Order: sequence, then C-alpha cells, then structure tokens
Amino acid sequence: MRPHTSVKAAAVVAAASALLLAGCSSDDSGSGSGSGSGAYTTPTDPAQKIELTYWTWAPGMDKVAAVWNKEHPTIHVEVNKQDGGDPAVTKLLTAIKAGSGAPDIMQAEYQKIPTLVASDALADISKDIDPATKSAFGDGSWNAVTLGSDAVYAVPQDSGPMEFYYRADVFEKYGLTVPTTWDDYAKVAEELHQKDPKAYLGTFSSTDAGWFTGLAQQAGASWWGVDGDAWSVDIDSEATQKVATYWGKLVEEGVIDNKPMYTPAWNKALNDGTQVGWISAIWAPGVLSGNAPDTKGQWKMAKLPQWTAGDDATGNWGGSATAVTTQSKNPQYAAEFVTWLNTSSEAADLLVSEGGLYPAALASQKSALTSPPDFFSNQPDFYSLAAEISGTVKPFTYGPNVDVAYSAYNDEFGKATKAKTQQAFGDAVTSMQKTTLDNLKSSGYNVKE
Amino acid sequence: MTATTLPAPTAPGRPGPDGAAGRPAGRTAGRTAWGGTTVLLLGAAYCLLPVVWVVIASTKSAGELFSTFTLAPSTHLWDNITALSDYRGGLFWRWMLNTALYAGVGGVLSVLVSAMAGYGLAKYSFRGKTATFNVILAGVLMPAVVLAIPQYLLLAKVGMTNTYWAVLLPSIISPYGIYLSRIYAAAAVPDDVIEAARTDGAGEGRIFFRLAVPMMMPGLVTVFLFQFVAIWNNFMLPYIMLGNDKLFPLTVGLSGLLNQGATQPAMYTSVITGALLSIIPLVALFLTLQRFWQVDLAAGAVKA
Amino acid sequence: MTTTTDRPTDGASPTVPSPAPTGGAPARRRSRGTAAAPYAFVAPAAVLFVLFLALPILYAVYLSFRKVKVSGLGLGKGSHTEVWAGFENYRSSLSDPDFVASVVRVLVYGVILVPTMLGLALLFALLLDAHRVRSKPFSRVSIFLPYAVPAVISSLLWGFLYLPGVSPFTYVTEKLGWGSPDILNSGWVLFAIANIALWGGVGFNMIVIYTALKAIPSDLYEAARLDGATERQIAWRIKVPIVMPSLILTFLFSMIATLQVFAEPMTLKPLTNTIASTWSPLMTVYRNAFIRNDIYSAAALSVVIALATLVLSFGFLRLVQRRAFAQEK
Repeated sequence: MRPHTSVKAAAVVAAASALLLAGCSSDDSGSGSGSGSGAYTTPTDPAQKIELTYWTWAPGMDKVAAVWNKEHPTIHVEVNKQDGGDPAVTKLLTAIKAGSGAPDIMQAEYQKIPTLVASDALADISKDIDPATKSAFGDGSWNAVTLGSDAVYAVPQDSGPMEFYYRADVFEKYGLTVPTTWDDYAKVAEELHQKDPKAYLGTFSSTDAGWFTGLAQQAGASWWGVDGDAWSVDIDSEATQKVATYWGKLVEEGVIDNKPMYTPAWNKALNDGTQVGWISAIWAPGVLSGNAPDTKGQWKMAKLPQWTAGDDATGNWGGSATAVTTQSKNPQYAAEFVTWLNTSSEAADLLVSEGGLYPAALASQKSALTSPPDFFSNQPDFYSLAAEISGTVKPFTYGPNVDVAYSAYNDEFGKATKAKTQQAFGDAVTSMQKTTLDNLKSSGYNVKE
Repeated sequence: MTATTLPAPTAPGRPGPDGAAGRPAGRTAGRTAWGGTTVLLLGAAYCLLPVVWVVIASTKSAGELFSTFTLAPSTHLWDNITALSDYRGGLFWRWMLNTALYAGVGGVLSVLVSAMAGYGLAKYSFRGKTATFNVILAGVLMPAVVLAIPQYLLLAKVGMTNTYWAVLLPSIISPYGIYLSRIYAAAAVPDDVIEAARTDGAGEGRIFFRLAVPMMMPGLVTVFLFQFVAIWNNFMLPYIMLGNDKLFPLTVGLSGLLNQGATQPAMYTSVITGALLSIIPLVALFLTLQRFWQVDLAAGAVKA
Repeated sequence: MTTTTDRPTDGASPTVPSPAPTGGAPARRRSRGTAAAPYAFVAPAAVLFVLFLALPILYAVYLSFRKVKVSGLGLGKGSHTEVWAGFENYRSSLSDPDFVASVVRVLVYGVILVPTMLGLALLFALLLDAHRVRSKPFSRVSIFLPYAVPAVISSLLWGFLYLPGVSPFTYVTEKLGWGSPDILNSGWVLFAIANIALWGGVGFNMIVIYTALKAIPSDLYEAARLDGATERQIAWRIKVPIVMPSLILTFLFSMIATLQVFAEPMTLKPLTNTIASTWSPLMTVYRNAFIRNDIYSAAALSVVIALATLVLSFGFLRLVQRRAFAQEK
C-alpha cells in the first residue's frame, strides 16, 4: 500500500494550474520494467517479435500503425478499433477486473484518466519514456496525464479547445453579427429565431455532458478537487449555476432548441440550415464534413462568446491521450510506440490527415496544421485562430467518478430540457452535485464536504 | 454398420411438408374476403415500412440522407456498398463471415446438444430428470445483460475472452432449444420403435443417431433456424467478450460505426447500407426454408 | 437467455404443447447401457449449462454480497479492496426510487405491449388460416420479416421514422398543417418503444399461433361450416379455444421478455431527452455495472430481477409440465 500523507497531497494541491489533480505518486511497481532509462533497444531478432494490441476509436489509426510496423519490423502494433470513448473504457475496466483481456495500448479521454488510474488500469510509464517528452506538450495537457504527480499515465494525443461555429451565409442573409459575449449570443439567438421561426442558433443537448462541462470550465468551474487526502465535489458552484440558468432561460424563451445533438434530426438541421450555429470544439470540421458535406464553405469558426467582454477563456470538449495498460507484458515497447505516435512529426501528419485530430504536441500543431481544413477553406486563418484559442483553456480537475456525474447530467438535464424552465436547469445542477457526491461517498472514497 | 435390423426411419403421424393432413389449402374458391385481406395487407405494410425505408435510405449519399425527402430514392447504393466494403480493408465482410460462423457453427452445435438433451429427457426416466429440466428452463429467465459480466470474468480466468470461443461456446446452450427438442422427441419418436430397435440389439447411441434424429429432423431444423437467428442478432455477449474488431459480428460492428463518439461523425450511410446487407442473408433463409417455419413448429402439437 | 439478448421482447415462445401422444412407458427394460444412456444424452447440455449459465449466476450472487473499499484518494494500485457487504447492496438497490419507478414503468409497458402484440398476432394468424382471404404468402413473410432484424438495428430505423425532420410521417402531418409531433420527446415515448417491440415480435407470435391453428384437424370445424357457421364464428368458437394453451404460453413468455426490455430504450436514449439511464430495470443494471463501475450493486439488482422473473415463471413451469409432459412417465 502506498503511504499517504497530507503533506504530499497538499504539495500537489499547490499545483493549482493543473488541469487534473490527484494526490499521490504511483506505486513503485508501476511500470514493472527493469532498465529504468528512457531508451530501449528494439529487439533485432525477428523470432522475438513483440506483438502489441492498441484499442482506439480514432479513424485511420491502422494507417499510422502501418507506418510504425514498417519501420519497426520486430514490434508489431495491431489496431483494434473500438466504439467511441465510453464503451472502450467499459471494456477495458471489465478486462482489468478479470485480470486478462486488456490491450497493451489504449486511447483514453482526459476525463477518464482518473477513473482508469483509480481502477489500476493504466501503467506508470514515467521510467519508460524520455523525460524530455514533457516539454513537447503544454502544461495543461501534461498535467492531465500525470494527475499532477510524478507518475506518467499516458501521453497526450489530441485536445479539444471549444469554439463557436456558425453559418456565415445565414448570418449574412439575416444581417446578424457574430456574438462575442454570451449576452450577445442570447440576443442573436432571439433575433434569428424571430426572423426564421424554424431556425435556431444552437441547441441545449442533454445527451452531451462533455459539452456542458466544457462550458462550465470556461465559466471558471472545476467540478472536483483534492483537499488533503480527500476528494471534494464542486459541481453546484456559482459558475456552473450561471451557465445552467443562462441556457435554461434561452430554452424557456424558446429561442434555443432543446433537442439532443448527434441525432438524425440534428444532422438534418445542420444540412438544411436550420441549425445556424454550433458551440463545438476544434474537431468540428470532421463532424460537419461527415454529417453535412453539402454545406462546405458556408461555415466559419470564431472564439467562444465570453461572460465578460474582453475576456479570453474557453473550455475543453473531447481530446484524448494514449496510455499503456497495466496488463501489458511489454510496457517499455508500448511506451516507445505511444511516444512516437504523439510526438514524431511523421505520426503527427497522419493524426491530422487520417484521424482528423488536433494534435496535443505543440510542435505538431505548427508543423502539421499549415493550411485550414478542406471544409473550412473559406477561412484561411482557421488554425492560427485555433492556436490562439487553445492557449486560453481554463484549468479543470476531473475526479474518479466522472461517468457518474455525466450520467446524472443526462438524466437531470433530460428532465430539465423537457420541462423547459430556467428553474429546472438550476435544480438539475443541484441534483448532479448530490448524485456525484453520494456516489463518491458510497463507493468508499474519502470525501470532504 | 449396415444396421439391417433397424426399421426404416419414418416419421409416422407427422404432417407432410405442405401443411396439416388433408386440410384444404387456404386459397379456396369463392369470393375474396376483402376485409380480412385488407387487414392482413395493412399488417404487412406496417412490418415492411421500416424495411422499405432502409432500402431507400441505402441508396442515398451522406448529404442526401438528411436533405432529400425520406422516401425519395437516389442512385448511390453501389457507392455506399463500395464505401462500406473499403472501410478498414473490407472489415464489414469479415463481420459478415464471423456472424455466419457464429450463427452457423453455433446453431449446429446447439441443435446437436439440444437434440441429445431433449431426447434424453423425453425418452428416459431417470433420477433428477424433472429437476434438471426445470433448472435448464429457468435459464431462459436470466437476462443476458445480467450474465454478460460474470460470463466475461469467468472466461477471462481461462484466457478465452476475445476469441471466437468466447462467443461460440455460450451460444451453444439454449434452454429454449432443449425445450423444443423435448417436445419434438416426445411427439415424433414412438416408443415402440425404440423398443423394437433395442430388442434387435441396437445400442442407445445408434438408436438416437440412426432412428431418432431422422424422425426429429424437421423439428431440429426449426430449432436450428431459431438458434441461428438468435445468434445472428445477438449483441450483448459479443459486445462484452470481444475487443478485437476482426472478431466482431455484424451487430457489434455496425453499432461501432454508429457510436463514433462526439468528435467523429456517425457513419449513418454505412450503418444503413450495412443493416440492409445484414438482413439479406436472413431473408434468404426465411424464403428458402419457409416450410420449416410453418410446418415443423407444429410437430409438437399435431397429435390433437 | 444467453443468445437472444438484444431482442428481449420477442420472447422465446414455445410451440403449443397440447396433449401429446399416448406412448407406452419407455425404457421398461433396464440394461446397464440404458441406465447410463440418459445421463450421457443430457451431459453435454448439463456441462455447458453449468459452465456458461449456472456458474455465472452463482458468481453474480456472490458478487452481490461484496463491495469495494477505497483507501485515501483511491488512485493507484492497492487502493481498492473488495470486502463483504452483507445485504447492503440489496438494501440500497431496492430503496432506490428510480429503480422502483422503472419497475412500475415496465409493468405498464408490458400491460400495453403484450395484449396488443398477441391480439394482433392472433388476428393475423386467424386471417392466414381463414378462407377467402388473399395475399397470404406475401403477408406471412412480410409480417415475419422483422424477426430477422436485430433490436439494435430496428431501434435505429424506427428512430429515423420517429424524429421530426427526417420522418416521413411528420412530413405528411406538416403538409396537412398539423405541425410536427415529436413522439420521442413527449409522454408518448413509452408507446414509441412498445411499437418497436411490437414490430419485432408480432410476426414471431403469429407464426406460433398459426402453426397451432394448422394443426387443428379440419373435420373439427367442417361440420360447423356445413351447419352454416360464419368464418368469424368458427374462429371465435372453435379455433381460439383450441389454440388457447399456445396463447397462454406466448403470453407468459412475452410478459417475461417485457420485464427484460433493454435494447430498444438503450438505442433510442441518445435521440431524446425523455429516456433516463434508469428507464427500465435492466438499464439500471447496465448503468450500475458499466457507468458507475459498480458490478456489486448491479449483481444485487440482477438477482432481484431474476428472482422476480422466477416467481413469475413458477406458474409457467407448472403449466408447461402439466400440459406437455404428463404423458412421458
């Protein structure tokens, strides 16, 4: 068992800018590798071929792995494509519980990392990677994979700074201005809906908890925290309430739609121009081009509206890291692949072109993203604006029961969007807080209220 | 080997393949009952509507799917099939083969095991018979969602998760198949035939395979068809058991194309085209083996 | 039901175990071979049953009395230990208002779905069996066809047909000036789900009943027909009473299957605000096991659901035995 001292935990809390916080260093036997240095020699004897399995849901990763396999004939990476995010994590956790069946390498969304570490699913690869790897990434994404500790549980792959997407042609048609504050956004939403009762500037989606979390993050919320060796839950905060009641009011007034995103009906609305705006993240071009290919060249991207004019803040929606699991028999080689995948320029080019990802590695953002995505060829400054925005992501701490909070979001905001009252939106946040806190307590975590 | 002493495998008392003995066929001379015909056609229309929708939707391009009128067909069916076939090097067709393997091999093994058990339960009296049957039947009542995790945890202990076996082996046991087989065995295999064979010195195993199985065969085909469809449509078990997408059956594979996560567009056109293609083999099975869907279900019930 | 997981509502309806042949008692003569034979025949099924059904069930029961204890922040190796929980999981599960609500909801769902499904199945089966009705082969295949569609797929198809904007129905209602009803985001969602189950299950039950109808010797009602009875009278007075055992069995199986409704609401859930993660009891099991990562309370809920279905099935088993297998011994 690990020693736990409040001193150690307190030191971690001091790293207040961390995107993710946690209070302990990893177990000593974490990586299980012997050599302790960052560099490993690739086995040269073909008979000793290392087989690594890699679970991911990002498209095109088999092509990236093919490049690696060609260059490393003795370390073969086999890609197993998974359902997006949640099901893959579910399967991994079941395999960890069972003691076998997990892959060597695993794509993990940032918010899932504390859950996965809590279940002892991710290996500490700090001894297997080059210490300089850290410098390839921004502090925010690096803290997300270390949980603020000395351990390294994954290497960041892509990030999802949030932005505002809108139909430039429709804005022009109705003479609307691009909102820079949330007050503006509300006014534009109302104006648009008046001019075309079928059209909405956006929708409040009760099925996308990550989306709402990102908006709360922009407003300054941080839903979990570490206090000594206890967790705290701070979902029902002023910042979250502000976001929830803001949207509740828009939904109540009917100027914003209340239907979930990612449904066939939503796709239809993207296609026929009745969904005029979309609060989304950097990966939106891929979704838009897949769902509404005929609207190419009609969209534009802008900064997220701000709570106070002149501010410059955003949240994160999506983004993931690549981890080595505790069941891997070859963690050092897996770590080598993971590092190559997320820091080398040849892999970065493929992540962008095949995976449609926005790389987390700073150098890759510059080298791989020189021209705007094809779908946004009308906006030449797309990636320079994106780079500016990605520097303004606010800190946020995830806890070990993110899935519980997210599922509570679905249920509570499902009720609220159906009720369509501002009051219900505020109540939903309070219910989320209670469910998440109760679950943390009943699971036996040390919780401070 | 020659078994000359065994009586020829006949199926006394069973109706011929064309329906119940001596019944006049439904299509009799006389006026058409328009009311009944209309109701039947409405029912058919209700059941066909979503199928018609799939056929039409699979002819549309990704853009058209959400921009043209729902029931207006287009011309991109071949493009969609090509796109689906190109996905990760023809993975879809591998899913199709996997599903055929799971359903085909699983169905055959299931029939064998069910037929043996059903015959044993119907034709012998032995200690624990009632209890065995009751316990096996109670297995019908355990929902798969409940069983999936314990099944996974236990199979993981012997390292069999993420293999073909993980899906095949649990699919073989079918309480429902055993139940049906017991009825078929009781109805289609006369006791005096068994007795006669025994008197002639035939072993129990030979009596089963040479005598009982041919007599039960039409019923067993029905059991096979039901089990085949059940495995073909199964989702939860392979979903939990398999991590390697090269082992996926169609249901799990298609659901993966649909649930791409927020950062990727759902591959609606591929899913819809895949759904259409995945239904075709079953429709073919329905049409070619139609008589087994109607006649042999009756095998247990004919002897009124 | 290991293998029919994703279409719980079709149920595994059996054929009519109507009075079976009056065979003589088998195996009167007992040699060593015949004494061992029944065990040999049942052995493969029994072994597979124990391995893939009985053991997992027992393991689930064991898990339902366990829970996880976390030390400190619960991060890293060794911070989670499994301990005994007694009946704690049962207490907390059964006192969860969401779970109680889901049980009530699913009972209402069953009361709506099962009689509708079996009523239509009986109607179609009678029409298939009736004189002077046309289009029988086409209708039979068409109505049976949905049986071939996995619930995951059929729910997606119906989702497209429900959602305003992509639905042909709302296209028509809009053209008629009736607005665009949003079935999924209204109080009608229960019916929307029941409809998918109905669509998938009616053909199967129709075939079961039709098969029973075809087994009726025609002389039973030829006389009535000669006496001038109408088709309708023959159907209600003669045919329906004869296929009643089959109806009762399909009813029980369907009712049990509706208690296990899972795939349809699960697939529709992302399309609507109205389906919570605890909509049906099995969805609650799924949420506890896969979202809350708490297999222990999921196991406890499973045991409760299984026991409840067992109580329901008890009557069913007795019924089956009395009717189908009385002749064997």
